[in-house]
Amino acid sequence: MAKYYDIDDIITDEEIVAVIFQKSASGVGIDPSSETDCVEVGSKVELPFWLAHELQQRQAVSLNIPTSFNQNTRLEIQADSACVDLRSRCPFFYEFGCKIAPLVGARNIGPLLLSAFKSRYKEVLTKAHTAAFTAASKNLTILTKEETNLYEAAQSSMAAFKKWRMGGPRFQKASILGRKRKSTE
Amino acid sequence: MAGQSDPQLSLFSAEEVEFIAEDEMVEIVPNLRMDALNFVCGDFGPFFPQLATQVPLWLAVALKKRGKCTIRPPQWMTVEKLTQVLEAERDSQRVFEQLPFHYVEISRLLFDHARDDIPDVYMVRSLIEDIRDVRFHKVETNLESLNERAFALKINNLSAMEVNIVRPFVGRALQAFYKHDSPDLIPDQDRVSDRRPQVANNATRRHLRR
Repeated sequence: MAKYYDIDDIITDEEIVAVIFQKSASGVGIDPSSETDCVEVGSKVELPFWLAHELQQRQAVSLNIPTSFNQNTRLEIQADSACVDLRSRCPFFYEFGCKIAPLVGARNIGPLLLSAFKSRYKEVLTKAHTAAFTAASKNLTILTKEETNLYEAAQSSMAAFKKWRMGGPRFQKASILGRKRKSTE
Repeated sequence: MAGQSDPQLSLFSAEEVEFIAEDEMVEIVPNLRMDALNFVCGDFGPFFPQLATQVPLWLAVALKKRGKCTIRPPQWMTVEKLTQVLEAERDSQRVFEQLPFHYVEISRLLFDHARDDIPDVYMVRSLIEDIRDVRFHKVETNLESLNERAFALKINNLSAMEVNIVRPFVGRALQAFYKHDSPDLIPDQDRVSDRRPQVANNATRRHLRR
């Protein structure tokens, strides 16, 4: 419930996963390719994660490992994690990985997330505090949401410091001052 | 997780850190005669012309603005001393030199309000800028060593402003590492059905870095 109002968490739940139905279900329009309103046992359907999760708890479906965590992605991350475009694969790569890992029973997803984050973290670190905004915006497009947050936290604190160092108005006049008497006169 | 989606994790703004720094004491030489000032934070004065006395930075700046005193720059704010510090900072990759906790803010305030009281003000200013850049680069190299086994980071002699700049980033990074190293995801030990003992095991496995 702690994340009930977290918009990122809600969007993460919308990620599509492929499931295989273990029970037949009738009267549902889940599978758009089927001719009837009925889903057969063994049919493969793509569902949003929140629905798949609920159905899996009732043993109605079994989850497949999503494509964002398949062997190809794994190899790419092992090769050069900093250049992999994780955002186009899954904008909430880490959050989704944390959610899906216990459900599909894939023990290698956890270490994959950790190693990916560890090496990509260094890339974010070296660019975040120093690079100019325009130069860095190219790198920004391959970062996932969590990495972008990290990056922006560093950028904004550095920008705030630079602004302070450059000076500018030392004191800001409260808007209520200055027009104190004008309204009555 | 708290703070993960909140971009404003920074607790202080640069202006607030500057405000805190204004409580540091500096030495002034007044050019007026005035009775002692009694404030909540303490009593200062009495002031006699040409007799040096210690006051907080904010009072010194206020008097300076009215032309009632000259500020004596702190001991560390000399070209020789700062050159030494800069050399030492460049020589060592890990250790930070001992400087006042608020050196960035104090120097900024003095450069703004009392530049005529600082000898070689341009030199001093560029030295402090250089020191700050070298130190910040070192902070970044230190942060590269951050990994899933660190749940705290200790860097000695870091100043208030430097800490304040990296605080949002480090806080988030540590949180993310902690999350990804959770025992639910990394099956490094015998799995037990109860989660709580596992969390305890995991905590003992971590250790403070440096």
